[in-house]
Amino acid sequence: MGCAFAALWAGPASAETDLRLFTRDAFELSGDVRLVAVDGEKGWVNGGFGKLRSGSNGDLRVRPQLGNISLVWKPQLSWSLGAIVVGSLHGGQRTEAGLSQAYLTFKPMRSGRLAFSARAGLMWPPVSLEHDGADWHVKDSITPSAINSWIGEEVRPVAAEGAIAFNPGRHKLRLTAALMAANDTSGTLMTFRGWALHDRTTLAFHRQPLPPLDEPVVFYQAPYTHPLLDVGAGFAERPGYYAKVAWQPPAPVRIELFRYDNRANPEAVNDDLEWGWHTRFDQAAVAAELGSGLEFKAQALQGRTRMGTDETGRRWIDNRFRSLFVLLTRPFGTVRLTARLDAFDTRNRGSDVGDEYDDKGWAAMFAAKRDWDHFSGIVELLHVSSRREDREESGLEPRQRQTQLQAELRMRW
Amino acid sequence: MVRNILFTLALAGAASPLSAAPLTVRVVDPSGRPVHDAVVTLYPAGNAARPARAAGRVVVSQKDLKFHPFLTIVPVGADVSFPNLDPTKHHVYSFSAAKKFELRLFAKDQSRTVHFEKAGVVALGCNIHDQMAAFIVVTDSAWTARTNAQGLAQFADAPNAPGRVVLWHPYLRASGGQLQQAVASGQRSVGFQVRLRPPPPAMAMQDY
Repeated sequence: MGCAFAALWAGPASAETDLRLFTRDAFELSGDVRLVAVDGEKGWVNGGFGKLRSGSNGDLRVRPQLGNISLVWKPQLSWSLGAIVVGSLHGGQRTEAGLSQAYLTFKPMRSGRLAFSARAGLMWPPVSLEHDGADWHVKDSITPSAINSWIGEEVRPVAAEGAIAFNPGRHKLRLTAALMAANDTSGTLMTFRGWALHDRTTLAFHRQPLPPLDEPVVFYQAPYTHPLLDVGAGFAERPGYYAKVAWQPPAPVRIELFRYDNRANPEAVNDDLEWGWHTRFDQAAVAAELGSGLEFKAQALQGRTRMGTDETGRRWIDNRFRSLFVLLTRPFGTVRLTARLDAFDTRNRGSDVGDEYDDKGWAAMFAAKRDWDHFSGIVELLHVSSRREDREESGLEPRQRQTQLQAELRMRW
Repeated sequence: MVRNILFTLALAGAASPLSAAPLTVRVVDPSGRPVHDAVVTLYPAGNAARPARAAGRVVVSQKDLKFHPFLTIVPVGADVSFPNLDPTKHHVYSFSAAKKFELRLFAKDQSRTVHFEKAGVVALGCNIHDQMAAFIVVTDSAWTARTNAQGLAQFADAPNAPGRVVLWHPYLRASGGQLQQAVASGQRSVGFQVRLRPPPPAMAMQDY
């Protein structure tokens, strides 16, 4: 056994076998260091209401930080069957490391104009237009939009997904459908903290902190959430699902429609007081190439999450949420410039959680990126303004504004 | 590289025992604008016909999720290597009748070679990245060239014999995917007016 592993490690795979477990091309390493200047309120990572990865206490803070480090293992079990396993470390405030994604991939040879592929395991559903690669890094900036920040932190189920692509005429269609589980708490952060903009994704079995909770919620909700959790009936009896249609007409534009429903039982609760949140959302997305290298991307998402018993015709929590971003990116010589505008809000009409938890705001981001062989340099300016009444319980003004300037050196091997 | 092939093909033509003279092929669209990257092949009748000679090393690389070059002309019997210069794996294939093949997953700085023994058009794709596309025209005639930016292809030493000129373009609107015209003995120019489909967008469908 040892000799076999040594042989796999030592040299390139032979032409006779497609098994590549520990060859050089089965590994990727990426990471970044950054200098962060931020003002405004305490960050959500430290239990505050702040919407950025870093926070302050009103003054301007400048800190060097370790950003994210990811080690990707991409073993090839056969020419069509592989796997992706990603371990990540998130630096900065509350440094932690763990498993980010782990799934099998199956991509047989297409037959004519029909192509089938499948994935199964712990993975992000195909929602984001901003992320790329096995390490799921943000492509054109440091910080993703509010929508994709939320996907990264609360929407990463264990799923079995199949996709089929075909070309009717000169059009391209891709249909994706998945059954999923272990994402029953999705919606907790969205309700108690609201939207946020950061690149700190969820790690398997790790908890995400919540801001201070008011009565009566504080009596029945844990002060944290585990995004990877099955509460209640389990996968076999109550699987969730997601589905997507992507259409590309004979023009440089792609339109995507996506639906997610975790079908969690909103009355299920575990011993740690973590609840099932029945969360459902729809998204429409557009990506287009406008000529001269100019790219346009937009995602619009709206959904609803419910938790607790229904005693008065309303569940304890009934939160409708929505967000939209538009992004333009274009290379100017060796530098790529990217600008993005976000708008977001939540509306709470539950019997226990009302409009004091409503979250409404906007954000603007501008980034410049330059690539060198194994390195990228990114400078990003991000401003976010938001209002939520429950900040007053912590002695804060409901309206908070934060500006963050980051300079990042990103490396990949 | 393509110039080398054309040079080789031209040398083959120079060996023709028949008298030779220039033949110019001009390709335009319905508005009269020149059409580049059309592949024109002269097939002289009878003894004047001459097969293309094997070229040197021909390479179709994969870089930045594109094939380079997009269009390659090779003689029958050519070996084409497909080096992967991308950091990701590729799975190059063709379903074309002229050559069906599949180069299963190969990684950065690895290469595979394919032998092309039959004339025809070979459409290339990648099973992983569906936006990747390219063409190899495998020719069995010594007089094969692509039109330049002015829509012109010239055979400096075409045999002074009757024959036919066949035209193919990746986006040609024509039944069978090609057009042809007869060439009379002594005819020194041929003109084609073609209608093209717009090129498909190079956007990816965001695969994983």
